[in-house]
Amino acid sequence: MSRRQEHAPDRATFPGQRRRREATFLALFVLLLAGGFTLISLHWVNGHVVEPFTAGIAQVSGAALDLLGQDVRMQGTIIRSPRFAVNIRNGCNGVEAMLIFLAAVLAFPAPWRSRLVGLALGILVIQAVNLVRVVALFLTGAYFPRFFDSSHTVIWQTIVILSGVLLWIFWATRFARPAEPAV
Amino acid sequence: MPRSKTSPPPARRSWAALLIRNVLLWLIPVGLLWGLLTPAYNRFLLGSAENLLHLTESPDVTDLPRLDRHRAYVQRRDFPPAKSLVRQFRVTDVHFHFLLLGALFLAVPGIPWRQRLENLGWAVLITIFFDIFLLFFFVKSVYAIQLGDWSLSHYGPFARNAYGLARHLLDLPFKLALPLLLWAGFYLERMLGERVAPRASGGGGST
Repeated sequence: MSRRQEHAPDRATFPGQRRRREATFLALFVLLLAGGFTLISLHWVNGHVVEPFTAGIAQVSGAALDLLGQDVRMQGTIIRSPRFAVNIRNGCNGVEAMLIFLAAVLAFPAPWRSRLVGLALGILVIQAVNLVRVVALFLTGAYFPRFFDSSHTVIWQTIVILSGVLLWIFWATRFARPAEPAV
Repeated sequence: MPRSKTSPPPARRSWAALLIRNVLLWLIPVGLLWGLLTPAYNRFLLGSAENLLHLTESPDVTDLPRLDRHRAYVQRRDFPPAKSLVRQFRVTDVHFHFLLLGALFLAVPGIPWRQRLENLGWAVLITIFFDIFLLFFFVKSVYAIQLGDWSLSHYGPFARNAYGLARHLLDLPFKLALPLLLWAGFYLERMLGERVAPRASGGGGST
């Protein structure tokens, strides 16, 4: 972030305009979210986009586990070792967090350039966090199976979504500057 | 909201940085409270969803008995006893979004405590209703698409698709995005007012 920036409240709008902008954001966010998740629920999209993407995540996670000394074998979206096996499915591939982030970025009033930069960086960060999640969950399942269920849904799901939410707040306040800055 | 009277932003630390730091700090106490309240909330959620399901049944056939602290069954009284427990599920997975909700709402800097708690109270209320409806649609989707021949004979293609899609949308995107959606509903205006703009110094064309 450039140093040539300062805190400049968005004062160009009246309360009515702000409320309209807020309502527009919420409506767009819900629409994009529902649209995105309906799209990935279609069989063709799931089979041709989501499944190959998930298999790619499994491959990268398997390679990371291999680096950590785990004797893993890959089988599509399944990572298997003598101690534990995990099948990476929807909900564990980071796609949900990516779609939530994407909907929030696209719905937010910002220049397209900022949106594209935000999306590119956000998707990278979310997938990096998700890679840590898959590796950590595999190790949890292998060495602390008692904690796997809670880690799988509550802890890591929260961490991945939280990373997307915080990233969006950071992007929206620091990078998505108003299209027409106050004079 | 008079920003200056509550907590003026400290020197050069941005509102967003404070918010992010506060969210991370609030996660642990909120998590502890959520863990403490989970057994009672699970009981409340199962009872409420059961009542809502009974409104759509005649006679009442669905029970949601608890298995343990976190898990419960979907039970149909009109099925043979050996097959009456049609599905086991984790109730706790329905409402872990409270962690994010609590941390996000409590972390907003520059807002008086009273207003923060009031906004959180409304958000919690909406989330409770959401959770009850989510559980309702979960059970309905189990009936509509996961009981094989019984589902096919009792639900048409439209109902199966509608319940399946409702569960898919509520269980993943909206359950996970609900805290952000509610937070934006209360604080987006504030965030829009905190955006960083380029310095209004000479030379640049952007000011």
